[in-house]
Amino acid sequence: MDFLHLLARLATLDTDNTALTQAPRRAALSRLGQAGTAILPALLTSLATPAEAGKKDVRTRLDALKLILKLENLQNVFYSRALGLLPGGPANPTAFFGTTAIKAAIQTMQSHQAQHAALYGQLVTNAGSTLDAMPNYDFTGSRNGAQASVYPDVYTNLDTFLKIAQLLEDASVQTYKGQAAFLQSDNYLLETTVRAHSTEARHAAQIRTMRRQRGATVKSWVSATDTAIVPTGSSLNVVYTTETNISQYVTLNGAVTRVPFDSTLPINVGTPALSASALLAKVAEAFDEPIEAVTAESVLQVFTY
Amino acid sequence: MHLTSFLERTLQRRSFLRVAGATAASSALVLAGCGSDDNPKPTNTTASLTFSSNDNGLLNFAYLLEQIEATFYQKVVDAFPSDFTAEDKAAFIDLRDHEVIHREFLRFALGGNAYDLSLPGAIIFNFSSFTLTTRAGVYAAARTLEDIGVAAYNGAVKRISDAGYLALLSKLSSVEARHAAFVREQAQPGSFAGADVIGTTDGLDIVKTPMEVAALLAPIVPLTLVTDGLTNLS
Repeated sequence: MDFLHLLARLATLDTDNTALTQAPRRAALSRLGQAGTAILPALLTSLATPAEAGKKDVRTRLDALKLILKLENLQNVFYSRALGLLPGGPANPTAFFGTTAIKAAIQTMQSHQAQHAALYGQLVTNAGSTLDAMPNYDFTGSRNGAQASVYPDVYTNLDTFLKIAQLLEDASVQTYKGQAAFLQSDNYLLETTVRAHSTEARHAAQIRTMRRQRGATVKSWVSATDTAIVPTGSSLNVVYTTETNISQYVTLNGAVTRVPFDSTLPINVGTPALSASALLAKVAEAFDEPIEAVTAESVLQVFTY
Repeated sequence: MHLTSFLERTLQRRSFLRVAGATAASSALVLAGCGSDDNPKPTNTTASLTFSSNDNGLLNFAYLLEQIEATFYQKVVDAFPSDFTAEDKAAFIDLRDHEVIHREFLRFALGGNAYDLSLPGAIIFNFSSFTLTTRAGVYAAARTLEDIGVAAYNGAVKRISDAGYLALLSKLSSVEARHAAFVREQAQPGSFAGADVIGTTDGLDIVKTPMEVAALLAPIVPLTLVTDGLTNLS
């Protein structure tokens, strides 16, 4: 029975979504020895490419801590430059932010990122590792002129700066979420990480609230109705492609079961009732999704060289 | 009084159980034994709700929290304060929808282990400690509930044993944190990540044990929440 449920689950998965396919692929591989050879070819064609499958899930706790540290260092530098704490930002930070409220919010976020960076740096060294050298940062996304800029006016246009802040905070929430699984064996590391994770989520919501107050079409939670902040075709779109997911899976009586948001679950409670698409957009809003380390690294790479 | 009628119904049920030759406690064990899951559902006695010391207990605790939040937002949506703006209304409809989705998601995940399957009726939550007739009162109430939610989820994750549930709860918890930041900012500008919720030296968000959360929920829930088992999980 388990195996049939597994096949059913694989069949319903969007195979472009690596975060979703990761778990069933592992489950599938672990069950291959129990499967009849007749169905193996059919099963294998539904899996991702072997090369991709081979590099999954070999992360250690130290890998997870180091990835989080990289992300926190990047965000700390991003905000510190804007605030004039490090060179490379606006000529006049106070003028750049326009209002004291926005500047104060960014100061709050910077102080948290600096604290997270210090904390995770300590955790990495406590784990017996040395700290990796900091990369160079280029928040225009041009990698120091090696490629076309994504955000050329990052420190001269506040709206652009806030778009990148939103992107990084949303990606940060996703990255923490993805790494928590690798820290589950250590209660302290796990709890620390989920707490830093929800701080990042508060930041992300606040950036979004500030952008909305400045006229952008964006909710404080990730929504399909948000105006895109990443140029079409940019690799940075990975941050938002996973967030349209409406498929969640739970185990009921030993069977992996897709939660029927799109059919029987009684969630359409408004007056008037929502259209099917509007309701599923709310479902997507109600769940923040993780990204895998390789995806997080691809986001970090755009801003480092 | 809602609580009275709830107790009356519960007492009637207890009377029935006595006639049938069983106590409430042993009846609960029998019910748990009928399930196909290894984890027994939480047991409820006359005026208390005991959460089992396992993943099902934690999911039921989260389910109760989401029920409270969904009920609260529905109450606001049913009668918006007169000084609510169009944007406030749209936001609260979103918040209501998210919490209903969370509640129904957890109810589905719990299946036959949902704690309220064995209750004689829905719990009537008591929001009388909040002022729900003004914008300021509603946002202050939402701030209280959302911060409790964030703290509860942050306290639950290390107590969860199943990696799948860990991943699922973390998908909910950051949405709660987004809600919290939004309603805090409306209640008091600049407070989205205030020092009352974020550690001033480590930047870490608030965390509470199930027992601490139960104490905060006491004015709202007309049942004693017994969370020792959850709190002792690690």
